[in-house]
Amino acid sequence: MFFASPFAMEFPMPCLWAYIGPGAGFALAGSFIAVIGAILSAASMILFWPIRRLVRVLFRKRPPKKARFRRIVMLGLDGLDHGLTTRLLAEGKLPNMAELARRGGFQPLGSTLPPISPVAWSTFQTGVNPGKHNIFDFLTPDEKTYAPKLSSVEIRSARYRPFAGLWPFTASRPDIRMLRKSKPFWSVLSDYGIVNCVLRVPITFPPEKLRGVQLSAMCVPDLRGTQGTFSHYTTRARDESEKTGGEVHVVRRAGRDIACELLGPPHPTDPEKGPLRVPFTVRIDGDDAATLTIGGSRHRLKRGTYTDWIRVRFRVGWSVSVQGVCRFLLLDANPEFSLYVTPIHIDPEKPAMAIGYPAVYSMYLAKRQGPYATLGLAEDTWGLSEQVLEDEHFARQCMDIDVERESMFMDGLAKVPRGFIVCVVDSTDRMQHMFWRYHDPSHPARPAKIPAAYRSAIEDLYVRMDGLVGRTMVKCDRDDTLLMVLSDHGFNTFRRGVDLNRWLEEQGYLVIDDARRGEEYLAGVDWSKTRAFAIGLTGIFINQRGRFERGIVEPGDEARAVRDEIAGRLGTLTDPLNGTRAIHKVYQAVKTYRGPYKENAPDLIVGYAGGYRVSWDAAVGRASRQVFHDNRKAWSGDHCVDPSVVPGVLFSNHAIRSDSVRLLDLAPTVLEQFGCPIPEHMDGKPVVIGERVAAEASRVETESQVA
Amino acid sequence: MLTQLLIALNGLASAVAKPLLMPVAWCPGWLSITAIGAVTGIAMLVAFKYTSNQSAIRATRDRIKANLLALALFRDDIRVGLRCQGALLLGAANLLILSIVPMLVMFPPMCLLLAQLALWYQVRPLAVGEQAVVTVRLAEDRLDRLSAVQMGPSSSALSRVGPIRVPAQGIVCWSVEAREPGLHRLAFDLDGAVFSKELSVAVGGAWMPTSMKRPDRGLFELLLHPRERPFTEASPVRSIEIEYPERSSWTAGSRTWLVYWFVISLAAAFAARPVFGVHM
Repeated sequence: MFFASPFAMEFPMPCLWAYIGPGAGFALAGSFIAVIGAILSAASMILFWPIRRLVRVLFRKRPPKKARFRRIVMLGLDGLDHGLTTRLLAEGKLPNMAELARRGGFQPLGSTLPPISPVAWSTFQTGVNPGKHNIFDFLTPDEKTYAPKLSSVEIRSARYRPFAGLWPFTASRPDIRMLRKSKPFWSVLSDYGIVNCVLRVPITFPPEKLRGVQLSAMCVPDLRGTQGTFSHYTTRARDESEKTGGEVHVVRRAGRDIACELLGPPHPTDPEKGPLRVPFTVRIDGDDAATLTIGGSRHRLKRGTYTDWIRVRFRVGWSVSVQGVCRFLLLDANPEFSLYVTPIHIDPEKPAMAIGYPAVYSMYLAKRQGPYATLGLAEDTWGLSEQVLEDEHFARQCMDIDVERESMFMDGLAKVPRGFIVCVVDSTDRMQHMFWRYHDPSHPARPAKIPAAYRSAIEDLYVRMDGLVGRTMVKCDRDDTLLMVLSDHGFNTFRRGVDLNRWLEEQGYLVIDDARRGEEYLAGVDWSKTRAFAIGLTGIFINQRGRFERGIVEPGDEARAVRDEIAGRLGTLTDPLNGTRAIHKVYQAVKTYRGPYKENAPDLIVGYAGGYRVSWDAAVGRASRQVFHDNRKAWSGDHCVDPSVVPGVLFSNHAIRSDSVRLLDLAPTVLEQFGCPIPEHMDGKPVVIGERVAAEASRVETESQVA
Repeated sequence: MLTQLLIALNGLASAVAKPLLMPVAWCPGWLSITAIGAVTGIAMLVAFKYTSNQSAIRATRDRIKANLLALALFRDDIRVGLRCQGALLLGAANLLILSIVPMLVMFPPMCLLLAQLALWYQVRPLAVGEQAVVTVRLAEDRLDRLSAVQMGPSSSALSRVGPIRVPAQGIVCWSVEAREPGLHRLAFDLDGAVFSKELSVAVGGAWMPTSMKRPDRGLFELLLHPRERPFTEASPVRSIEIEYPERSSWTAGSRTWLVYWFVISLAAAFAARPVFGVHM
């Protein structure tokens, strides 16, 4: 009837036949539109390509010299230690790195002072010493309150302003300011029209404009605005008042059901309401399984197995919500219930704040490979350190994140055939921090019986990274591609902690209320009598008038005298346990750094000897009753020592003709290789890059062999 | 076999549609077609959810979107762009493949539903005093009996012109005038056997189901004209058709109702998509 009617005849029959319901209709129409769109787009791309090319050639600012390489690829393996790498290379356990070294070179890479990631990666990207990029530690004390604050980024919380914008949500986005100064070298490359793909390089948050794409890393907060807060739900009676880096929620079981709440960001309009919440329930299905119901969807929980990333939406009001992703891990179902939830990461598909440049880049990656970890410090070391997670759970988390990272790195390699690509893998750092106790036979936290799976956890990690290097080499196997594999620092055991505040107290530089000794953030310190204090991982601050609100040391001669005195005394500090020197060298910032921001540095930077580090108490501004402490935490490896103790690594597929290469030198090296001028303010010197040794047929591994 | 099945399905669809579509007779046309469009849109959406591979569709859609974004993000290299285009085409083809199963599942009920809706919206019943052409088509092997076809007496309709016989096409036509409102049957006589066809006559453009044709046993014909039982294969009469007038309306008119229903069902499904969590 309608097919035969004049009306129906006006329409092509297949359309009518195809329309058999909105779902299939949409799908069908969608795919036709996609096909037609792709064809049109491809046609226009081919038609306009010559014009685009011409415009680029005519109007683009070109590097004054010819680029030597078509593409430069840098793979950062955070914390890969030179000494350990050398040993494993000698033992033949790292065949791909060995091949890379044979084709080009391998040598230690000088780190920064202090050799910690925010400082080192800031130097890597800017090619300047910390006095010019303003990053000296993870934390820095507030000049007024002495409380620690993030050194690289300032995040002011979101304020909901009705009618401030078309979309209330955008109006409520937090104000984020990058505190790292100077200019990353990829900004210079961008100025000369060179495409960049910058993946998870620390201290790139908030993302800065560049030609190409960027995904931010260290200092990207979780949805709660912290640097990572895990949640632990348990029916066990609370045995500790709090956990560092996480929250414990004691929950009650009603039959098989447990009702819980996931805590999100603070309420934007009424902070007194507390954090936004998403309720969820867990129904116990047996000893090893449960069903999680959250946000209207159900997920199967299996004991000891992480869920995939689950989207959670915190509603602020009608049509306004903030979205995050997290993973759930059922630790115990019976008789006691125990559930771990990762920090709630910003959902890369609907980010509450820009975590990449352009902003859609994080969405592109999420669409391409699904949700992924976005938190700056994505691997939850606190979960393991606070004994909520077990080794296997932490290791699984790291490895899953590595898979995500590799996927985006490989995509970057595929999408940027000409330009600069850098990707940093963090798990090398996190796993060495947490598993070094199995590597060091003398570590105080080493258990009597080591689980078989973790007996060689560190070596296994290096072998795993060797596989990644191999897969990268396959993608970069061209003479016109420079591949460098590098680390920002090495690693060392962390057996003993040095309580600098206690030492300062004993030496008469710091006065603290004995009753408030255990309080964090220097809360019990008598500032009217304190000349020096320690907070953070690296240094000692002189309580100088004009710099700190309650400073008592006069700038100039008095401050210099105090610095010299502390440096002299601290340099001879000896561990009574074994009579060894705990400090390799104490550096004075005014003498060590150059640049406009050196005044913001700790006055003294402590270069610890191997095996030592600032104690846990001193790092958070507490003062204990003794200077030296055994480190019995799972966090058993560290690199907050003298830079000479922990050099990083530098592999290259082209010969390195310079000796003593420093992290500082890589930015000018990349600029030079692309033919770009090196800005005068850069402190590094370009590394001389030689030729590549041809691959031997027998040594060239195919991608599948490497995989 | 298929014919029998289709006849049974038509019977079932008519039985179900009769009470469900009853309100169409009482409502304004725009309201009924809007309501039906919305309800069917949502029903088909739910059906699509449970007959399709939702996770695969979502993954494919995500890949398509990723490739679209990649086209914008990585514009500097034409080979990368063309690879993205290729991936886009593959994704679209994959989406098409993933739509096949739900399409096949939904095809029969949608056909039956549209045929039932066409009874209400495709034409309007005759008004009293209005004329329409009635055509009786004979089987090819009985064309010699064309002259024997007679229209029986009826109080509901009066023959104004005819019979006009067209031997070349095997048809006999009358122009009839509607006399009484209601659902009637027109009877035709051929060699003593009676063949009837439903006639719809309404007052003032009222809504009632209107069967344009009593069909033969062809599958397509059966599908399009579900209201009246088809003639048997042995019947000398193939079909009887009445040319009802078209209904004029932007929403429920003869030329617009299908498009309007299509748009409304799409809009309803699109609006309900987040509520039901359906990936399309």
